[in-house]
This record gives sequence, C-alpha cells and structure tokens, in this order.
Amino acid sequence: MTDLVVQGLSKSFGSNQVLKALDLTVPSRQFVTLLGPSGCGKTTLLRMIAGLEKATAGEIRFGDRRVDMLPPGERNIAMVFQSYALYPTMDVARNIGYGLEVRGTPKPERTEKIGAVAKVLEIAHLLLRKPKQLSGGQRQRVALGRAMARRPDIFLMDEPLSNLDAKLRATMRGELRRFHLDLGTTTVYVTHDQLEAMTMSDLVVVMNEGVVQQIGTPEEVYGKPANLFVAGFIGTPPMNLIPAKVVDGVVTVAGAPLPVPLPPGAPAELILGVRPQDVTMAAPGDAGAVPGKVWMVELIGSERLIEVEIAPKLRVTAEVRASHRAAMDDLVAIRPDPAHIHLFDPATGLAIRA
Amino acid sequence: MRFRLSDRQVGVLFMLPLILAVGIFLVWPIAEAVRLSFVRYNPLRPDDQPFVGLDNYLFVLEDPLFWESFWQAIVWTGWSTVLQAVIGVGLALLLHQPLKGMNAFRGLLLFPYIVPTVVIALNWRWLFNSEIGIVNHLLLSVGLIDEKIAWLSTPSMAMASAIMLNVWKYTPFVVIVVLARLQTIPTELYDAAKVDGAGVLRRFRDITLPQLAEVLAVVIVFRTIWTFNKFEEIYLLTRGGPGTSTYNLALYAFDQSIANLRMGVGAAAGVIMLVLLLAGSMLYIRVSGFGREDKAA
Ligand SMILES: Nc1ncnc2c1ncn2[C@@H]1O[C@H](COP(=O)(O)OP(=O)(O)OP(=O)(O)O)[C@@H](O)[C@H]1O
Ligand SMILES: [Mg+2]
Repeated sequence: MTDLVVQGLSKSFGSNQVLKALDLTVPSRQFVTLLGPSGCGKTTLLRMIAGLEKATAGEIRFGDRRVDMLPPGERNIAMVFQSYALYPTMDVARNIGYGLEVRGTPKPERTEKIGAVAKVLEIAHLLLRKPKQLSGGQRQRVALGRAMARRPDIFLMDEPLSNLDAKLRATMRGELRRFHLDLGTTTVYVTHDQLEAMTMSDLVVVMNEGVVQQIGTPEEVYGKPANLFVAGFIGTPPMNLIPAKVVDGVVTVAGAPLPVPLPPGAPAELILGVRPQDVTMAAPGDAGAVPGKVWMVELIGSERLIEVEIAPKLRVTAEVRASHRAAMDDLVAIRPDPAHIHLFDPATGLAIRA
Repeated sequence: MRFRLSDRQVGVLFMLPLILAVGIFLVWPIAEAVRLSFVRYNPLRPDDQPFVGLDNYLFVLEDPLFWESFWQAIVWTGWSTVLQAVIGVGLALLLHQPLKGMNAFRGLLLFPYIVPTVVIALNWRWLFNSEIGIVNHLLLSVGLIDEKIAWLSTPSMAMASAIMLNVWKYTPFVVIVVLARLQTIPTELYDAAKVDGAGVLRRFRDITLPQLAEVLAVVIVFRTIWTFNKFEEIYLLTRGGPGTSTYNLALYAFDQSIANLRMGVGAAAGVIMLVLLLAGSMLYIRVSGFGREDKAA
C-alpha cells in the first residue's frame, strides 16, 4: 500500500537540465505510465525513483518514508530494464532468486518462491537455462520474474516491451496488465508507445523536455488534452491543429465560419484542434464546413485518410471509411464535429475551456 | 603460353608466406632442438655430433642443479603470475572508475611494458643496491628497517627482487586485457544488482568476477608460459645468483649450452620445458572450463 510522491525534482547532467522541478503523485496500487518523446527524461526520472541516479534538487517519498537518500537496495523496489539486464553467468532460477539470495532468504524458501513465480509466468521449464539460451519473450518473462520474486512495494519498468516483435508485444501488454491486476503493486511504466500507455494504464503522465505536461486517465489525456503538446502527441494520426480567428464572436477557419461554442474570454486568435476521426467530408458551400482541394489520399486498411488543403500550406486530415472515394484535386469541404473541437490559446499553448 | 592456376593452387600460394615463416621460425628451431637433445654437441667441435640416445635426458634428470632450477622456476612463475593477476585486476578495477583524468593514468600504465628489459634491470640493480640504492635509503629514513637489506645478494631476497621486477613490468599487460573486458560489461547489470540489493563486494563476486573468468584463464596461461620461460630479466638482474639461488630452467639451459658447452644437454632441458608447459596449459584450460560456455550455447 504505497503511493509514490515526487516533489520539485530536478536533475542536471552538467549544464544540461534534464528534469525541471518535477511534481508527480502515483497513487497506491495504480499502473502509471510515463509517456513522452525520446530524450524527454523518462528513463532519468525512473532511475531517480530507483535510486540509481542522484537528484540535483527535490525529494521522493514512498508513502511517508523519504527515500531519496537511500541506496536502491533499501527502497524495496524492483526494476525491469529495457535490455532486461539478466545476469549472463547465472541460470534463470538464480536470476529470479538473486534479490532474495542477497537478502539472505534461506534456500528452501527461495526455491519455493522461484517456483511460484516461474509457474505464474509459465517459465518453470526454463529454470536451468542461461539467459543466452532464451528467446526475447522468454527473457522478458525472466526479467519480470526477477522483479516479482521479491514482492517489492513498487515496480519500475523501462520500456520492457520495446525489444519484442509486434505480435508478442500485443500479447505481453495484456499479460502485464493482468499481472498488475493480480498483484496490485504500484507500477511506474515508461514508454514512448502511446498504444501501450493507453491500453495498460490507470493514469498517464505525459512528459516533454523534463516537464510534466498532463496527468490524467487515458480518456482524459486523449479527450481533454491540457495543451498543444499533449494534443499533438496523443492520438494517431495526430490531431489537426488549425489557426482560427474570432470574427464578430464566431470562430472562422480560412474565412469559413464554424458553429463552435466559444468560451467567454477567449482571445481573438485561436488554435482549433480536431482529430481526423472527428472530421467528415462535405460538399463545398455546405454550412459549417471549410472548402478546399484534395491534396492526398491514403488507404490505411479499413479507413482512408484524406488530406485537404484549405488554404495555401494549410492542410487538414480527415479519417473516413475506406468506401469513401476521393481523387486528387477534387474540390471538397471538411466538416469538423463541433462536439469534438478543442481550442487552444496560441500564446500559452494551453487549452481554453468553457 | 599462359599459366592457369586452379583455385586450389592460388590458395596454396596465398598460404605460402605464412607456411614458410612458420616453418623457418617455429617448426625448424623446435625440430632442431629436439634433434640436438639426442646428440652430443660441443660448439667448439661442430663436426663431431655423435648420437647418444637418451643420455642428455638422463644427465639432466640426474643433475641436482636441474631440480633446484625446476623448483625455483615454479616459485618464480607461481608468485609472479599470482601477484600479476591480483594486482592487475585490482588496478584494472581502479582504472575503470569513471573519474576525470583517468585516461592519463591509463596511458601511464603502459610505461613499464614499453621500456626495454635491459634498461629496467640495470635501473633495478641500482635501486636495490644495498649500499647506495634508493630503496634501502627510503626504507631506512622512513624507519621501516633498521639495517640495510642485501636485496640482490641474499638468496631469498634476490628471488623476491626478481619477482618484483617481473610483476612491475608485466602487470600492465594484465591490466590492459582485464580493463578491456571490464569495459564490455553492460552497466545495466550493475544497476540491476544494486536494485536487487547487492553491495560492492557482492557485485564484484557475482557479476564482475564470473565475466572476467574467461579472460583471466587466458591471461594466466600466457603469463605462466612467458614467465616460466623468462631468461633475460633474471640474467640481467642477478645472473642466477647469488650462487644458483635464482636459476630457473631457462638459465639452466643457457648455462649448460653456453657456459658448459653442452648444447645437447641444454636442448634436452629446453624440450623438457616445452613438454611441461604444453601439459600444464592443457590441464589448466581444461580445468578452468575455458570456451565451454560457448559450446553449450
Ligand atoms: N548519464 C548521462 N549523462 C549526460 N546526459 C544524460 C545522461 N543520461 C541521460 N542524459 C540526457 O538526459 C536526457 C534525457 O534522457 P533519458 O534517457 O531520460 O530520456 P528518455 O525519455 O528515457 O528517452 P528514450 O525514450 O529515448 O529512452 C537526454 O537529453 C540525455 O542525453
Ligand atoms: Mg529511456
């Protein structure tokens, strides 16, 4: 029953400030994902929670226990590394039981715990092998087993699925989620794959350049992005972000008025965000639609992406059913669904909410 | 008319330089040594080389100086190799620390390895000189000893000095090999062990040492062979003395061949060394399990 609190945490490598006064609370028993582009400081944050990296400023608490001056071994955490970091000279059983061995757990008890973990992970037949003799997926399970065997307060995982092929990754996503529900251990999971973040997490922490951009459930970060970065980062294909003007109290895009409810106090210049899934095709001249010319058409399986140029260099993507036909240079119009429009202040980048 | 060579002939041509070099510099000397060990050969009478069967071997095996040299060679090789391995691994661990300026130390380390043995041996003779050497002077002034130590003229001290010289000169070789291996161990393994709660000593024992095992096996075999055969350091430092107290088999063979003009006996001693080293190396590699890991995988 341990929640994890990070307060004002900063980290610099030389003059390169990687984390900037970061605040974060991970509630007990939750599966929390750190999501952000490469180099934004996810691994650094995770390593600081583990104690493998010293903070420049700030503090870390597990429950009411302050841990940032404790060595990793005394924090009772377990970590799964991206490369798995299995001990190459030890067999699978010893790998799984090493944390117990170091802590002086007697052999019979150790063997029993290793056996139990191996059974859950379905790797009991591999216990005598060396890591070299395992497949990627099997190694991943052993790494997981090593983390589980000690019954840690907190699980830390750094992109544990990134070395697996797409199919195995999908399977392991489900399994990790199931293990989490069974064990109920507080988990911090690092990924830059938003599909992983969306499907597995209770909470998603979106990071960029060492700063937390938004913390929320997957629904929240997808449905109510707090700022332009989150809006552009979450969702595939990415959200259309279109400059708009307020003319006589009406939002207009490329000169076409749109029936968008305008919150009071909105600035005269806005950025209108709408996901391709929330854009439908219309005929030029239809009310509530913006006319334009088809720029590109892409088939992505059951859907088709139609990119429409509504002003020079300004294109909007619509995701429609594959049965919808369109040809290059057709004159069409796009109609954003007024119920799913996001407005942002271009000056601050923050969402404007009613 | 044109020559056309088959692939096979071209292949042989490519191998020819190596075959020649190995033949001239490796096979022929060994064969010649084996032949010499079965004849009586006084270099002042090169025309007279009668075949004497196993006489040279019998002579060697019945010679008390051979056995003295043999046991001294074991002491010399054993201590040198063990000290080099232990100090070498220790220094490599130190030099592996990610500290500023470490590269300068890594470079400096090569120094003893580069300097010619003659220079080192002569310098050491001065350093260890019991009357005017700096070693005694320093030890006296620090108060570690009360009277001057006769480093090179008492038997046990002479052996110790020779071993020290060997350790000083060849430890860098161990350091370089071990350091290269250390640098290939992924740091994530240490991170994982820290998270598992392992302290410095456990991390060394459970992660570093097992990964060094293979390279240490090779290093120890090489150092053993080279030290066992070593001639010039001892010869230049002590000439085998005082008395015969720092003779090893190389000095014995040299002594028989050159000083006593018994080339056949010297060759027999050399062949015995060859056989001993071959057997020892094979045994060690078997026992240490070198290369087994890869075959299993
Ligand atoms: N030991 C280090 N020394 C210097 N700079 C470092 C060190 N570790 C990380 N950095 C820098 O810190 C920044 C954040 O790195 P970090 O590994 O936390 O990114 P990440 O979010 O995990 O990225 P990825 O998704 O690619 O794994 C990067 O700019 C990186 O260059
Ligand atoms: Mg990372």
